[in-house]
Amino acid sequence: MSSADEYSDDDAGYYDEDDDEMLVDDDGSASEMELDPMNDFHEGSSRRKIYEIDYESLSQADVERQMKSEVEYITSIFGVTVDVASLLLRHFDWNKEKLIEKYMDNATTVSVAAGITPPEKAPKRPAASGGRLHSSSELSRESLIGPRRSSRRVASAATKSSKSKLLERATPPRQDEPFVCPICFDDTQTEFMSLVCDHKYCKGCWGAYIESKVKTEAESWISCMAEDCDVVATDTFVQQVLGEDKGTWGRFQELLVRHYVSHRPELKYCPYPSCTYTVSCSISRASLATQVPIVTCGNGATHKFCFGCNVDSDHRPVICPVAKMWLQKCHDDSETANWIKSNTKECSKCQSTIEKNGGCNHMTCKKCKYEFCWVCMGPWSEHGTSWYNCNRYDEKASKDARDAQSRSRASLERYLHYYNRWANHEQSKKLSVELYAKTEKKMEEMQITSELSWIEVQFMKKAVDEVIKCRTTLMWTYAMAYYLEFGNEKELFEDNQRDLERAVEDLSELIESPLDPEVIKTLRQKVTDRTVYVTKRNEIVLEDTARGFLEGRWTWNSPVAGLD
Amino acid sequence: MDARLRRVNKEIADCKNDKSSNIDIDLVDNSPFHLIGSFDGPEGTPYEGGHFEVDIVIPDSYPFQPVKMKFITKIYHPNVSSASGAICLDILKDAWSPVLTLKSTLISLQSLLCSPEPRDPQDAEVAKHYMTSKSSFEETARYWTEIYAGGPGKAGKGKASGPRDEIAMAGLDSAHVQQFQSLGFEKSKVIDVLRRMNYRGANVANINDDRVVEEMLKP
Repeated sequence: MSSADEYSDDDAGYYDEDDDEMLVDDDGSASEMELDPMNDFHEGSSRRKIYEIDYESLSQADVERQMKSEVEYITSIFGVTVDVASLLLRHFDWNKEKLIEKYMDNATTVSVAAGITPPEKAPKRPAASGGRLHSSSELSRESLIGPRRSSRRVASAATKSSKSKLLERATPPRQDEPFVCPICFDDTQTEFMSLVCDHKYCKGCWGAYIESKVKTEAESWISCMAEDCDVVATDTFVQQVLGEDKGTWGRFQELLVRHYVSHRPELKYCPYPSCTYTVSCSISRASLATQVPIVTCGNGATHKFCFGCNVDSDHRPVICPVAKMWLQKCHDDSETANWIKSNTKECSKCQSTIEKNGGCNHMTCKKCKYEFCWVCMGPWSEHGTSWYNCNRYDEKASKDARDAQSRSRASLERYLHYYNRWANHEQSKKLSVELYAKTEKKMEEMQITSELSWIEVQFMKKAVDEVIKCRTTLMWTYAMAYYLEFGNEKELFEDNQRDLERAVEDLSELIESPLDPEVIKTLRQKVTDRTVYVTKRNEIVLEDTARGFLEGRWTWNSPVAGLD
Repeated sequence: MDARLRRVNKEIADCKNDKSSNIDIDLVDNSPFHLIGSFDGPEGTPYEGGHFEVDIVIPDSYPFQPVKMKFITKIYHPNVSSASGAICLDILKDAWSPVLTLKSTLISLQSLLCSPEPRDPQDAEVAKHYMTSKSSFEETARYWTEIYAGGPGKAGKGKASGPRDEIAMAGLDSAHVQQFQSLGFEKSKVIDVLRRMNYRGANVANINDDRVVEEMLKP
C-alpha cells in the first residue's frame, strides 16, 4: 500500500544498521543465530514499522534443534550421554549455568536428584539383586553415570552403549525362573523392560503407564512405576516403549518443547489451541513500558498474540500494563456498573452505596447512621414535619449533597463512556464471522451481475479485513484514552482516534449497503479508495502512539502498576 | 482378557486368600470396578473397635491412575471430610504408583487413622479441634466410632438406641452449650456456631462471648 513507501524513507537509516548485523550473523555459527534471534526478520514482514517488533517464529523442529544444541553442549562438557544430559537440563529447568555449577560441585547428588541414578546405587547392589542381571548390563549402566568416571566419552559412543543396555534389558527372563509383571500379572508377557533402577515391568504396562502420564497428566517427567522410586525415563527409553504409538510419542516431544519454551524468557508458545509454534522475541521487561510486542506465529495470520502479556489478541496501541489494568477494570466494573448507576445512590456522608428497595424517603445509612432524604439527598433534620413529601429540594445543604454525589457519579459516567465504545467495537468484531459470510455472498453476486472476475471482487474481502483490524485498534484506543491525562496530547490522540473511527464507520457502512448492479464499478472504486484511507489512518494512530511512547509523551491519570 | 480386569480380579482374589491382613474387599454389584473395602480401626486409637467401610471406584486407566476411594462410614479425622468421607492422602493423588494395590492402599488408609496429619487437613474444623485439644478430639472421634462404626461405648452396643448426643458429636462441652442456650438461642444453632468457631479447650479463652453471640445472630 501507499503508506508503506511513505514511512520507509524515515526509517531507512535504521534498517541499514540491521542489515549489516544480519550479514555478520550469516557468517556466524548456528548457535549464535539462536542466541540473537532479533536479527532474523519474521517472514513476510518486509520492513518494520515503528509500532512493530522484531521477532522470529519457530516451528517445533526449530525449537528441538535449539534444545539439541543445548544438550550437546552439556554432553561435551560432562561426557555424559545425550539422554543423561537431557534429563539434567530438564531437572534444572534448562538453566545451563546452574546445572554446571551444581554438577561440578557434586555430580552424584545431582544425578540422584535428576532421576538418573537411584540413590543407594552402590557397587554391592548387583549381588543383592540376585543373578538375574548380566554383567554386561552393569558395565553399560556405569557408562550411563559417566560423571563418576574421569574419562570423557564421545557422545555417540555413550549413546550406543546405553542403547545396547536397553536392548539387553528387553530380553525375556530365563525360562527356569518365570517372571510375571507385578502390574498386570499377565504370565503370557515375554518382553520386560526397566530403567537403571532394575524395577522390571512388561512392555505393555510401561506403554500404558507412559501413555497415561503423557496424555492424561501432560507430564513429560516420567518416573519409574515402582513406589518411591525417583528414577526418570530417558527419551530413548520412552521412544523404545512407545514404539509404534506415534501419537503419544509426538505428544511427549511436544511436552518437552513446551517445558523448554516455558523456561526461556525469550520464547513463548503460541496460545492458540493445538498450535505447536513458538515465537522468539528478545524484548526486555523494561521496554514493555514503551513497546507493544504483538507477534504472529508461523502457523497463520490469525495466530496473533502479545509476547509481553497474556492477552491473546492485538492490543496495540496500548502498552501491556495499561491493557491489563483496563481489562481488570472492565472485569470488575462493567457487569455491575449499570445496575449500580440506575438503582443506587451514595450516602452523602460516608459515600457508601445505598440501594433503596422499599419504604419511605427517610433514609438512615446503615453504616454511618446518617439520616437523609432520598429525594433531595439533604439531611433529614431539615425536613421538619413534612415527613413523606420532600419540598426542600433547593436548600443549600441538599444541593451540596447532590453536587458531591454527581461528582462521584461523573467518574462512573466517564468510565462508561469509554467502556461502551470499547464494548461496541468488540461486539462488531465478534460479528466479523457473519460479516465474512455475508461479504462472500455479495462477492458471488457481484460476479454474476457484473463482468468482474473473482480476483477483481477481492476488494470486498480486503475491505472487511481492514475494518476488523481497525476495530481492534479502535477498541484499544478507548482503553488508552480512559487512562490518558487530560491535555493537548490527549486531544491530539483523540483527534486521530476520531478520524480513524469515522473512516472505519464509513467503509463499514459502504460494504454492508445493498448491492446495486448499476453502480458496482463506482462502488468498487469507492471501497478501494476508502480501504486505502482507513489503512493509512490506522497506521497513523499506531505510529503516533508508538512514537509517543518512545518520546515519553503520554502521561497517565492514574498510577500504572509495573511502570517505574 | 483386558489387563485392568485381570489385575483387579487377581487383587480381589489375593485379598480373599490373605487372612492375616484383616482387609476385606467386596463387590457392590456385579462389576469388579466398583467395590467396598473394609477394615477394623487400629488398636490404640480412638477408632479401635470400629469397622470402617470404604467406597472404591476403579478408573478406566487403572492401575496407571490412582483408585478413587472415600469413606462410607462416617469418621472424625482431620484428613477425612466429616461430611462427604473424601480422603486426603498423597498416594491417592500424585504419589500413586502402579505397583500399589487395593490392599496396600487400604492398609495405608488404616495407618492414616493411626497417624493423622492435621497440618494437611481435608476437614479444617476437625483439624482445628485436633490442634486445640487432642484429648477432646479423641473423645469425639471415639464417640463417632461408637455411633457410626459400631465401636464399643459406655452404653455398650447402644448403636441407634436413644437420641444421639449432638453436643458430644460436635466435640463440645455441654456446659458451654447450655451457657449460650440460656441466652435464648436454639440448641442446634449454638452447636453449629460453637463448632465452627472451635469453642473448645484453651481456645475458649481466645473467643469473646460477644463474637459468639454476633455469629449466632447472623441469619
